[in-house]
Amino acid sequence: MLFCALVSVFACQKDPIPSKDADLTGSKVDVSGIPSDISKIFTLNEGSMGSNNSTLDFLRISDGNYITGAFKEMNPAIGAGLGDVGNDIVVIGNEVWMAINNSGIVEVVSARDETEIAAIQVPTPRNIAYDNGYAYVTSWAGAYANYGADYSITDYKNPKGQVYRINLRTKKVEGSVQVGYQPEGIACYNGKLYVANSGGISSQLPPNYSYDSTVSVIDTKSFKVTGNITVQVNLKGVFSDGKGNIYVTTLGNYYNVNSGVYMIDASNNVKHISDFVSIAAISGDTLYCVGTEQELDWSGAPKTWKAFTCKDGSKASFSLNVSETTPYGLFALGGDTFLIGDAGNYFDPGTVSLYRNGNKVWTVTSGVCPGHFAAW
Amino acid sequence: MSWRRTLAALALVSASWGVNAQEADTLSAATVYGVQVRPVVRAAEEVYLPQQPISPQNVAAVLQHFTGVQVKDYGGVGGLKTVNVRSLGSEHVGIFLDGIQIDNAQNMQVDLGRFSTDGIAMVSLYNGQKSRRLQTAKEYASGAAVHLRSERPKHFFGSGGRFRLRGGSFGTVNPSLMWDKDLGRSLTLRTQAEFLTSNGKYKYPFFDTTLVRENGDIRSLRLEAQLYGSLRRGEWNVHAYAYGSERGFPGPVIRRATGFPFSAERQADQDLFVQGGWDQNWTDRYSTAVKFKYSYDYTHYDTHPEKNPMAMPYDLHYYQSSGYLSLAQSYVLADPWSIDLSTDGQFNALDSDIGQFVTPRRAAFTGALATTLAWERFRAAAHLVYMGAWDFFDTPSAGGWSREDTYRDAWMPSLSVFWRPLQWMEIDAYAKRSYRLPSFNDLYYSQMGNSSLVPEQAEQFGLDIRFSERKPANYHLDIRISPYFNRVSNKIVAIPTSSQFRWTMLNIGLVDVTGLDTRAEAGINRGDWFLEGTLRYSLQQALDHSDSESRTYGNQIPYIPLHSGGIGFEARYGYWSLCWDTSVSGGKWSRTANIDDYYIKPWSISDASISRLCYLYDLDTRGMVPELTFTLNLGNVFNTPYQIVQGYPMPGFNALLSVELNW
Repeated sequence: MLFCALVSVFACQKDPIPSKDADLTGSKVDVSGIPSDISKIFTLNEGSMGSNNSTLDFLRISDGNYITGAFKEMNPAIGAGLGDVGNDIVVIGNEVWMAINNSGIVEVVSARDETEIAAIQVPTPRNIAYDNGYAYVTSWAGAYANYGADYSITDYKNPKGQVYRINLRTKKVEGSVQVGYQPEGIACYNGKLYVANSGGISSQLPPNYSYDSTVSVIDTKSFKVTGNITVQVNLKGVFSDGKGNIYVTTLGNYYNVNSGVYMIDASNNVKHISDFVSIAAISGDTLYCVGTEQELDWSGAPKTWKAFTCKDGSKASFSLNVSETTPYGLFALGGDTFLIGDAGNYFDPGTVSLYRNGNKVWTVTSGVCPGHFAAW
Repeated sequence: MSWRRTLAALALVSASWGVNAQEADTLSAATVYGVQVRPVVRAAEEVYLPQQPISPQNVAAVLQHFTGVQVKDYGGVGGLKTVNVRSLGSEHVGIFLDGIQIDNAQNMQVDLGRFSTDGIAMVSLYNGQKSRRLQTAKEYASGAAVHLRSERPKHFFGSGGRFRLRGGSFGTVNPSLMWDKDLGRSLTLRTQAEFLTSNGKYKYPFFDTTLVRENGDIRSLRLEAQLYGSLRRGEWNVHAYAYGSERGFPGPVIRRATGFPFSAERQADQDLFVQGGWDQNWTDRYSTAVKFKYSYDYTHYDTHPEKNPMAMPYDLHYYQSSGYLSLAQSYVLADPWSIDLSTDGQFNALDSDIGQFVTPRRAAFTGALATTLAWERFRAAAHLVYMGAWDFFDTPSAGGWSREDTYRDAWMPSLSVFWRPLQWMEIDAYAKRSYRLPSFNDLYYSQMGNSSLVPEQAEQFGLDIRFSERKPANYHLDIRISPYFNRVSNKIVAIPTSSQFRWTMLNIGLVDVTGLDTRAEAGINRGDWFLEGTLRYSLQQALDHSDSESRTYGNQIPYIPLHSGGIGFEARYGYWSLCWDTSVSGGKWSRTANIDDYYIKPWSISDASISRLCYLYDLDTRGMVPELTFTLNLGNVFNTPYQIVQGYPMPGFNALLSVELNW
C-alpha cells in the first residue's frame, strides 16, 4: 500500500490517472474519432473452448497503445490466466466485470489497472447486466439452481437456466431465479430485466428437440419472473434503447428461420424489424447490426456483409464496408466510429479494426475470437 | 507334405515375411514363384512382438518408438491415443488388423490405446502403403498404414495358453488369459480374455500447485476367439471380437472455480466385430483371397450435469454399424511379373438420438489394380486405386428436411520401386497420391452439412536408403535414412459458425511437409550376452501454406516438432533382460500462430524395464516348457511433467509389475 501511495505521488506529477499498467505497451494506433470521455476500450477475447486462452486486451486512448494479454500481465499470481471462454464484458463504475463461461467465474478487475478485485463463482456464466447495486448474470446451469446449498434437481437432463444476482459491493451471489433454456443476453430497463432464452442445447435434446423462443421478464425488486414474451426461436442478444424499447436478436434455426432482430415495445408488442443479424451493438437509442444474406451458405464462399440501424422500431440502411472474413464482435463508439473484431479462422489470434465513416482505418492483432468490447 | 507341416510352414513364412524376405524365399516350396514372395515395399518400421523381451501395454506404446510417428496422447490409461505419420493426420493413417481395416466412419480416428498387444504378433508401419499379393483394396488406399498381425496359435498339437497379470500405478489391475487348442482336422482355436481396471489418478503440476487427475478411471473387458483352418492349397480364419469399456474423461486442465470439477463426463462403449478371410491358391499362378467384416459399435456419452454444474447437459447414444466384403485376385503372368486386382465394398450407418441428426449412410467401393515385377535385386510395383462413396443423409432446407445423396470419388495412383545395388544396401522409393473421404463428423457435424466437401488429398514422395551388415550369431548393424516430401491439400478444417456448437467444415488447408527419418541400430551377441542400441531422429518441417494472405502463412502446423527422436538400449544376459528408452520431442506450437502463448516446450521422457524368465520345471520334453516371466516396467522414470496435447497433463513416474505364465 505504502509503495503504491508513493508511486501515486510521483506519478501524479505527470499523469492525472496513475496506473500500474502504464508500462504496458503494444501496437500504436490512431485514436482520433474516439469520444474524449473514454480512457480505455477493453477487448475480451473468447479463446477456444477447452484451451484456457481467453485474454483481455485494452486500447489506451492517452497514447494509442493497443495492449494484448493485459490480465495475465497484471495478475501474474493467477497462473491459469483469465480462463476459458470469456463470453461477456461490462464496465460498472471503475470495475470491469467479465463472464468467464467455461471457468465458472465472473471475474472483476479494476478498470484502472486490470488487477483482480474478485473472482466470483457462478456456473457457466454467459452475459451480464447491472442496475441499482446488483449485477445480473445469465447462466446455463440449471441443475444447481442453488449451487452449494441444495442438490435438488428437477430436470437435470434438460435443465432451464438461471439468472444469478450479485451484490456489486460485496461481490457475493445473493440468489438466483429460473428462466428459460440456455439464457444468453440480458438487459435492464426501468427496474425490469429482459433475458433472451436460446434453447441452443435444448434443441438437440430429447424429447422435444426444440429451441426456446421467449424473453423472460424479471422484476428487479422482487427478483421474480413476471412475464414471458414469445419472440422467435434461438434468441441471442438483448439491448435497451433507454426509451422503453427492447431489441432482441435471434440466431434462427439454421435452415428455415433466418437470424434477425425484433423489437419489444413498452406495451410488450413484438415487431419483426429485419432478418440477417450476425453481430449487433447499441449506442444511445440506435442499434447497429451487421449480417449477411448468405448465412446458410456453408461452402466457405466469401460473404457480403450488410449493415443497418434500428431506431424507434424502424430499420434504416447504414454504410459500413465490412471487409472482415468472420466479423465476430461489434462496438459502437458513437457517431461514425466502430470497432469490429474478426475471429479469422477461430483458432489463431484474430484482429480488431477501427472503422470511421464506413471505412477501415486501422487493424491490430488481438487474442483468439475477439468478440466483446467495453469502454471506460 | 502333411497339412500340419504345410500350416507350420505357412505360419513361419508369414511370420518371417516382414522380418526377412529372403528366408521366406528359401522356405517356400518350389512351386512358389519369386514374385509371390518378394516384397516390393517393406515396412518402414516393424516390431515382432514375441521376440521382444518386454511386451508393451498397447499398440500406441509400440508406435511411439517408430520414427516419423507422433502419438497424440491425452494421458492416462483410458486417454485417447491416435497417431499421425509424417504430419498426415490420423484420418490418413489406415489401421489394419490381419489386412482388414479397423475403421470409424464417424470421425476416422482409431483409439490405439484400446488395442492390447496381447495376441498381436507384429506391428508394422508403412509409409504410403503395403504392397503384397492378395491385399484388400483398402490396404492400397490409405496415406500411411499400420498393420497389426494376429499371433497364430502356438500349439499345433494339443493345447496351451498364457496367463498374464499386470498391475501397479493408477490402481491398475490387468489380467489376461489366452488359450489355444488344436481341434484336429486342420482346425486350431485361439481364445482370449482381458480385463483392465484403473482409477486413472495421478498428480500433475498446475502452475504453483499440484493437482490430482480425477475422473480418468476405466474398466474394460475384451473377449476374442479366432479359428484357423487349413485347406488343400488354402487356409481360412474367422475372428470374433468383443470389447466393452466404461470410462471417464478428465477433461482439459483450465482455470476453473474452486468447487466445480473439471469434468464428470463418462463414456461407455461396446465394440463388436466378426471378420475373417479365405485364401486359396487355385493354381500355382492364380490365387484369391476373400475377406469380410461386420462390426457394430455403440457409444453412450453422458456429461452428468447433476454432478457438474459446468457441464452442458448431453446424454447421447451413437450406434455405428458396418459391413465389408473384399475379393482379391492375384495372377502370375510370367514370373517375376504378376497382376493383382482387389475389389472391396462397404456399407456404413450411423444413428444417434442427438436432435436433428442426419442419420448418414455410406455405400463405398474401392478397387485396386496392381502389377508387380520382382527380380531378386530390382522390384517395382504400380498401383491404381479407385474409391467411390455414395452418401445418403437428411438435410435441412427452407422447405423442411429431405433425404439427399452425394457421390464422391477419387483415383489414386502410386508407384513403388526397390533396388538392392549391393548386398548391404537397399533403396526403396515411392510416389503416391491418396485421398481420405470426409468422415461423417466432417460432413454432418451438428447439422451444418457442407455437401460440397471434396476428399482431402495427400501427395507423397519418399526415399528409403538402408545399410545393413549382419552376422546373426555375432552382430548386426542397420542404418536407415529416409527423406520425404508430403503435400496435404484440400485439407478439411473445422470452422465454427455464429454459435460455438455449430461448426462447418471447409476444404481450405494446404500443408507442405519436408522431412527426414533416420534410424540406426547396432547389436552384438557374446555368449550369454546380447546388447543392442538404437538411435532415432526425425526432422519434420510441416508448413501451413493454406492462404498466402494469412498471418500464419509459412508457419509450422500445430503439434509437429521440427526435431524429435530417441535413444534405446537393450541388454540381455541369460534369462535377464533390461531395456531403456528415452524419447525426445522438440519445441512445438499448439496453434498455427507460432507465438509464445502457444509454445509447448521440448520434453524428454525415459522409460525402463527389467524382466526375468524362469522355467517352472525343466521337463525334458520335446514340446513346450512352461515358463514364467516377471517384468517391471517403469514409466517416466525422472517424473518429468509434460503434455503432448495442451491442457492434458501426462502421468509422472509410474510402475507396473507383470507376471506371465506360458504353457
